[in-house]
Amino acid sequence: MSGQIRGDRRTFLKAGAAGLVFSTVAGTPGRADAARSRKRAYVLVIDGCRPDEIDSGLTPHLAALRDGGLRFPQASSMPVMETIPNHVMMMTGLRPDRTGVPANSVYDRALGEVRDMDRPSDIRCDTLIGRLNRRGHTTGTVLSKTYLYGVFGGRATHRWEPSPTLPITEHAPDVFTIDAAITMLEEFDPSLMFVNLGDIDRFGHADLTGTTLRLARRLALADTDLQVQRFLDALEAQGVWEQSIVIVLADHSMDWSTPDKVISLTGPLAADPLLAGNVQIADNGGADLLYWTGPEAQRAAAVGRMRAIARAQDGVLAAYPRTAPWLRLGPEAGDVVVFCKAGWRFSDPDLFANPIPGNHGHPATRSIPFFIGGGHRAVPRRTASSRVARTIDVAPTVAAFFGAGAPRGGYDGRSLL
Amino acid sequence: MTTPPLHRRTVLGTASAGAAALAVACPDGGSAAAAAEAPARRRSPFRHGVASGDPLPHAVLIWTRLTPTAASTPGSGQGPRVAVRWEVATDAAFQRVVRRGTFQTGPARDHTVKVDVTGLEPATWYHYRFRYGAATSPVGRTRTAPAADATPDHVRFGVVSCANLQAGWFSAYRGLAARDDLHAVLHLGDYLYEYGPGQYGYGISDRDIRPHVPAHEMVSLADYRQRHAQYKQDPDLQALHAKYPWIITWDDHEVANDAYRDGAENHNTDLGEGSFLKRRARAHRAYDEWMPVRMDGTARLGDGDRLFRRLRFGRLAEISMLDLRSYRDAQVPFPGPAVSDPDRSITGRQQLDWLKQSLSRGRAQWKIIGNPVMIAPVDFAALPHDLVDPVNDVTGLIPRDGIPYNVDQWDGYTDDRREVFEHIRDHQVTDALFVTGDIHSGWACELPYDASTYPVGDSAGVEFVCSSVTSNNLKDITGTPPHSTSTVVEGIIKANNRHIKYLNFDDHGFSVLDVTPTRAQMDWYVIGDRAERDTPITWSVSYATKTGTGRVEQVSEPV
Repeated sequence: MSGQIRGDRRTFLKAGAAGLVFSTVAGTPGRADAARSRKRAYVLVIDGCRPDEIDSGLTPHLAALRDGGLRFPQASSMPVMETIPNHVMMMTGLRPDRTGVPANSVYDRALGEVRDMDRPSDIRCDTLIGRLNRRGHTTGTVLSKTYLYGVFGGRATHRWEPSPTLPITEHAPDVFTIDAAITMLEEFDPSLMFVNLGDIDRFGHADLTGTTLRLARRLALADTDLQVQRFLDALEAQGVWEQSIVIVLADHSMDWSTPDKVISLTGPLAADPLLAGNVQIADNGGADLLYWTGPEAQRAAAVGRMRAIARAQDGVLAAYPRTAPWLRLGPEAGDVVVFCKAGWRFSDPDLFANPIPGNHGHPATRSIPFFIGGGHRAVPRRTASSRVARTIDVAPTVAAFFGAGAPRGGYDGRSLL
Repeated sequence: MTTPPLHRRTVLGTASAGAAALAVACPDGGSAAAAAEAPARRRSPFRHGVASGDPLPHAVLIWTRLTPTAASTPGSGQGPRVAVRWEVATDAAFQRVVRRGTFQTGPARDHTVKVDVTGLEPATWYHYRFRYGAATSPVGRTRTAPAADATPDHVRFGVVSCANLQAGWFSAYRGLAARDDLHAVLHLGDYLYEYGPGQYGYGISDRDIRPHVPAHEMVSLADYRQRHAQYKQDPDLQALHAKYPWIITWDDHEVANDAYRDGAENHNTDLGEGSFLKRRARAHRAYDEWMPVRMDGTARLGDGDRLFRRLRFGRLAEISMLDLRSYRDAQVPFPGPAVSDPDRSITGRQQLDWLKQSLSRGRAQWKIIGNPVMIAPVDFAALPHDLVDPVNDVTGLIPRDGIPYNVDQWDGYTDDRREVFEHIRDHQVTDALFVTGDIHSGWACELPYDASTYPVGDSAGVEFVCSSVTSNNLKDITGTPPHSTSTVVEGIIKANNRHIKYLNFDDHGFSVLDVTPTRAQMDWYVIGDRAERDTPITWSVSYATKTGTGRVEQVSEPV
């Protein structure tokens, strides 16, 4: 496990009008000494972007990057289609039953409370970042969301502390995130940089016109596209484009619901004599994770009751036992995983708990854009592949690029190059 | 598709007279002119050509029909049981034969030969032929599908439907056979028509360019066999069958007009046609004998008549061919609330569940649905009756009183459509592509979840509809010049249905569907006058859908 943020060297750098704070592992050499390899890999996560939005006309630079490199029209987020687990899958190449991170929000049985998975210790496995660090590469994280900064902790050689963050969304706007990415490139030039751009997701969550015009969302798309191009221009300016692969993908898609399409399972579950007082719910927007907290001997019966009650609610698409082999979510995800239909959302513990129209986590938010650009010769030009690409394929792809090998037990994903 | 029922009733009384004269002209199907053209072929015991179909990565069906004696005419039940040898080679000269065998046939199966050749290599061209005594069949060419996990850069199909021999020459088949760039041919139904001479032909007068054999509506097993035999003697159809493997489904006319689960508009017990289910069983039996398709997953006869099936082309595309006649409830007599009754189905429960499996993430990228009747909603509420009535004559599309449904299409079974579209949306299934026949016109449509607000809102996918090979379209049924009445109607339809991007009510022809990882494109080719055997063929228009978008856009040139 990598170290914690505390104790690392903190650096304050000026970028434009903004002040940027980077944390760097103590003892890390400077820029000139850092590069063990001339290869560079950049993973840009356009948080919450739908694949069709790249063809909307609002993202010409992203579309050009996609069309000029290797694209995967069939690309998927992995369950649960949430931000934290899919970022962890990208940087580990492993499914949640091996990472320990199945969702944004889980019920922590030890704490007895529902919480975000934003702690460095939540990741229970080795990461690509750690693997590269051990091989003498330097790595960097530029993550716009505070919980992502939290969960990846001090793993990367260089970390940007997202700031300024907006209230409620707890994310830094893309303009600042790209400022930080460019500054990290110029100052530290890590071999791998992992960037999360949160505007499209955050504007999508809040877009009250999401079911119709998606006005706020469209503004974010256009702006994020410009920010990505700034970063690509910086790669050219720094002279690293020819050595680089640039992986662009989303962590999940986005779906919108109106206030009359809200599901709350708390009441129906509490009304059942077996389940009353013995179930906890972790609401993940498009997915509810249900946890049996009663006697172990009654768990099987409780799972059956939870599934039956959930399936009976309007707007519920499916309720699976968490142990369904294809889910591979691990015990942190509880006992039952409930997905909503498109155009619906969960709101637990009550109907007012989740007022935001844009949500994800359910199968309607599984498709993502996924493409690889960059000037390195490993990147095919103007190629599209019908092979399925998944978020768990990022780590094996980057590892293969650097020759960094695989973790014990192998990757769950596969290299796309 | 729906054909005008009154028409048929009107001409029944004259059918037998016309039939007698025509039977003299061409006792074994086809026209006298065609017979004069190819005497050698007509003397051959393989006079019905060769065909192949349902390509898999390691297998493909090959087909022929043997006429071992002069008496062994189709439907006769006459002739000996005989052994027919077959060979499959990688070269046209048969220097490298990779598979061979012997097939027993006889009068019980109308001397047809259908072999499921296995042990082949994926994505490979093969040549095949049959031998009987000293006679050798024409050589056919076929191609296996790519391996299941292959990533071909493209697949390309000819697309056709609605070939009424009485209405004209099969120039559309000729046009496709002249191409050398296809991988297979999709036929979306109405491969042949049940009508007798004078009942459904060319244009407003129903002139028979080539009269049907037998000279009456096909009802008996012998009738169906003879009609199949007549079509299989058409030289253009033979050429196209010999050039590519076909992937075929049926619509209604392979049995009778507007067929449903236990009846059809054109099945009349009062005219002595007996049990519909027995009639359909006979039609399906003849179909199984005469068509290069796997029914119930096999080439064997009599083991079932399930025709809905999937054929995969690597990771790039998978085709799910639907049967929208055998399991559907009867059409409602008039458009009304019953069209949305959830207890009514166009697919049947089993096939609908199967279709939803076809439309699943993790299958091939392009989920191509071989769809016999249109799924895009069509709302004509604002059309005046003067325009509605002729359109209904040819398409049955427009409820006269303004309720927006054609009850023979998915519009008449909207709950099934709702379930399919919701499934697509709930699972964010991308690249659902419906390829459709039936309606004798060319369409390019998006598939809105809510047509009333579209283009605000998303699309479940795309539908491309090919025109008919010969069957009458709007101008034919109205007798008006091309691009006159139809142009007005097309404009109004598109104005009322913003998801319909292209509509051509005037032309006949074929389409070419080209699928790559980045887009699917349909090119529409049109023919001149169906009555002229050598009528010209020209490219008309092309539309494409980019992967992941569910939208269509016009493109400037064909593939």
